[in-house]
Amino acid sequence: MSEPGEVLLSLRDVTRRFGGVAALDGVSFDVGRSEVLGVIGPNGAGKTTLLNCISGVHRLDGGDILLDGRSLRGLAPHRVARLGVGRTFQIVKPFGSMTVRENAAVGALFGSSEARLPTRRAFAHADEVLALVGLAPKRMLPVASLTVPDRKRLEVARALCTKPRLLLLDEVMAGLNAVEVDEALEMVRAVHASGVTIVLIEHVMRVILGVCQRVVVLHLGRHLAEGRPADVLRDPRVVEAYLGEKYASRYAGG
Amino acid sequence: MNWGEQVVLGLLLGGVYVAVGLGFSLVWGVLNIVNLAYGAMVMIGGYVTWLLFTHTGIDPFLGLPVNLVVLFAIGYALQYVVINRVVRAPFLYTFLITFGLDLVIVNVLLLIFKPDFRSVTTWYSGAALSVGPILVPYIRLWSLLVAWALAAVMWWILNRTRTGDAIQAVGSDRDAAQLVGVSLSRTYALTFGLGAACAGVAGALIATYQAITPTAGEPYTLQAFVVVILGGLGRVSATVVGGMLFGLVQVLAQSAPHLGAGYQNAIAFGVLVLVLLLRPQGLLGRTV
Amino acid sequence: MAAQPEPDAGQEAAFAIATPAAARRERIFLVVAAVALVLLVVVPLASTDQAQSAGLPLLVDRYWFRVATIVAMFVVISAAWNLIGGLAGYPAFGNVVYFGIGAYAVALLVTRYHWSFAAALGGSVVVPAAFAGLIGVPLLRLRGHYFAVASLGVAVAVGEVINNLDYFGGASGIFMPIVRSDLLFYYLMLGAALLAVAITWVVLRTRFGYGLIAIREDESAAAVMGVNTTVYKVAAYALSAALTGLAGGIYAQWNVFVNQDVAFNIDVSIDSILMALIGGIGTIWGPVLGAVVLEFLIQTFSGRGDLAVVTQIGLGLLLTVAVIFLPRGVVDFLGGRSSLTLAYVRRTLRSSGV
Repeated sequence: MSEPGEVLLSLRDVTRRFGGVAALDGVSFDVGRSEVLGVIGPNGAGKTTLLNCISGVHRLDGGDILLDGRSLRGLAPHRVARLGVGRTFQIVKPFGSMTVRENAAVGALFGSSEARLPTRRAFAHADEVLALVGLAPKRMLPVASLTVPDRKRLEVARALCTKPRLLLLDEVMAGLNAVEVDEALEMVRAVHASGVTIVLIEHVMRVILGVCQRVVVLHLGRHLAEGRPADVLRDPRVVEAYLGEKYASRYAGG
Repeated sequence: MNWGEQVVLGLLLGGVYVAVGLGFSLVWGVLNIVNLAYGAMVMIGGYVTWLLFTHTGIDPFLGLPVNLVVLFAIGYALQYVVINRVVRAPFLYTFLITFGLDLVIVNVLLLIFKPDFRSVTTWYSGAALSVGPILVPYIRLWSLLVAWALAAVMWWILNRTRTGDAIQAVGSDRDAAQLVGVSLSRTYALTFGLGAACAGVAGALIATYQAITPTAGEPYTLQAFVVVILGGLGRVSATVVGGMLFGLVQVLAQSAPHLGAGYQNAIAFGVLVLVLLLRPQGLLGRTV
Repeated sequence: MAAQPEPDAGQEAAFAIATPAAARRERIFLVVAAVALVLLVVVPLASTDQAQSAGLPLLVDRYWFRVATIVAMFVVISAAWNLIGGLAGYPAFGNVVYFGIGAYAVALLVTRYHWSFAAALGGSVVVPAAFAGLIGVPLLRLRGHYFAVASLGVAVAVGEVINNLDYFGGASGIFMPIVRSDLLFYYLMLGAALLAVAITWVVLRTRFGYGLIAIREDESAAAVMGVNTTVYKVAAYALSAALTGLAGGIYAQWNVFVNQDVAFNIDVSIDSILMALIGGIGTIWGPVLGAVVLEFLIQTFSGRGDLAVVTQIGLGLLLTVAVIFLPRGVVDFLGGRSSLTLAYVRRTLRSSGV
């Protein structure tokens, strides 16, 4: 992962503070082009803050974030979007008074420099993306009538419509049952297959193991471990972070 | 007038603004309602005092309990029946509904009392205390004391009683409060009633030194807004600071060479816009 | 769920939930509106001198012209407010300041700089827009109550300043040369009203409109999707200022006199918001319907003394009732999305009330 052209996103010593507390403290890692990178860690680890920093919602207090060599530091969210970063929110934020189709189309009307389509084409693209995520039959419905899994799909579809190079997914699986998780996994795989680099925050380990090529572990705002999913999940430091010292020593063997 | 006298008068006036600000701040902080009918409610308080004084001779300060009760009842009813219907709609709607209530209240007062000015003149209206070279009118002094007492009582209610706990709970997390059994509709009504009671007290204080008329309440809504913005939302202490400071600003600004009494609104708005653009959370408030 | 009709790639209306019944109702509404428009343009022509000497009956009189012109004026102001308050979700309470700036722009350009009225109208559009562009940047950083009252503050402050400076005629205002023609101003205002409605229609069909609505629904999500929220908000604000200024400019010449009370009257702002509310905030026809209904009510019940007071009470009650029971306005029923049933009312109360 050290060839320059292979790295799409590079975090260098990223620090973000809220009041006196460092939500992120010197976090550094790279995301390879066309990779699916998982970000895990116990609650409060700073995962969502990380996404917020990348997408420009929060200002960095230290360090830098480079997208294809270009610094994202200090850029407003819409500029970061224009450079090709799309994201979803952990608690979905649909545009309530619009239909499903219109929600997705907003992504295509704005979004990255590849997007910003004229109205007619934006809606056509929205239709394609909605088909990809499986929302095509419901596209004329108002968002209020969607179930939770469908809202999550819409959230992904809308971000996808921005034609991102990098897609940040924040706990897309939260609140889904086993069957819905499988369907969502398929969707993520399909999205990845279309050439998008994905950074995925998740708590559901089945998803991490099922779709991520590498995983980064954050704990209390710091980079704790990194590597292949199976390896990382066996790392005693990671187990200790999640379950505490008692369990870590118990599982030290395996 | 010398500076010392200005400052003293400013502080005395500040007392009135503290009373004006308390009710407004409570309702805004807890219910997220900017009550555009607040000034009208202050005037109701004024009229209660006037009625009491002219028909039964009861002194405006002694009649305060009546103000409290009457305005509390009105406020409670208004919230419970009317405003509760829109509390979860976007804020524009509570804004508009309180505006509608303001229209109704002011014009009902006009219908009943006509636009004539009414005043309350007690035997001590003109009397003042001499503190060195400065004359401190008794009415103003007692208004200041009443205002601070009101602030203390409000603080005590909000921080040392179960009712206050319920109010604060509803203010921070409406859903969580409901989950532990707090009745939203009644707590809202209670809060608004308390705010109205403060307005009633403010009205009584104002009636002692100013002639009242149904439309005279308008500036007080604006000034309440400024007091809250200046001091910060959410705490009684913030409102006290905001009120005292605003009283000072008003007196000092009005005695400045190019301005005069007619600039009352402009000064209030000037302070408002400045604070909003420079420090929206006010002096003591949390970040907006 | 009934089968949804397949939409073609071009169907993009912001609020269309297509059901056959709704489409039919919408078509009927549009036909009625078109007929009304033709009548509004043609019927007043019967009052011209030529028509009168040809023996045509006087279908409308001076009173009607006056009321119709005022209704048209409020359509402009309300539709303009709708852009920033309804679409973008930033309810400005002091938009009357742009009415005033537009009115004074015309008054000054004509009386002091001897511009023609037509040219001065250009000023009544440009000057308010420039002012809004400047003050909008810091102002639109505020949200909710803060923004509403700050915008109100700006209106009061500007009004006071103008009232006190001799350049603007001070408290005695500015008198314009008299132009006696009810017909001219009627058509001017009608034209401005049509322009306002047309602009709203165009905005709602383009990226600009979607961006504004996205900002209203969820500003942080909109930003992350790539909407330049600052530019869009300020643009909407400046556009609403331009339209409002135009109404003020026309009004200045029609009224022949401007001063602080005439041009910076907060009631104008409040009434225009109420009209948008009754008609339907964020819709194309809402401000039109609201202006017609409310102005009709005001004109019918206005009077002196106690009657004026009772009218205000009625207005206050109407506002209260409208906010509680009809927050989405009347247009909701005309568009076919809902019918005024008990269930509708109950749903509304449940979602807005405690």
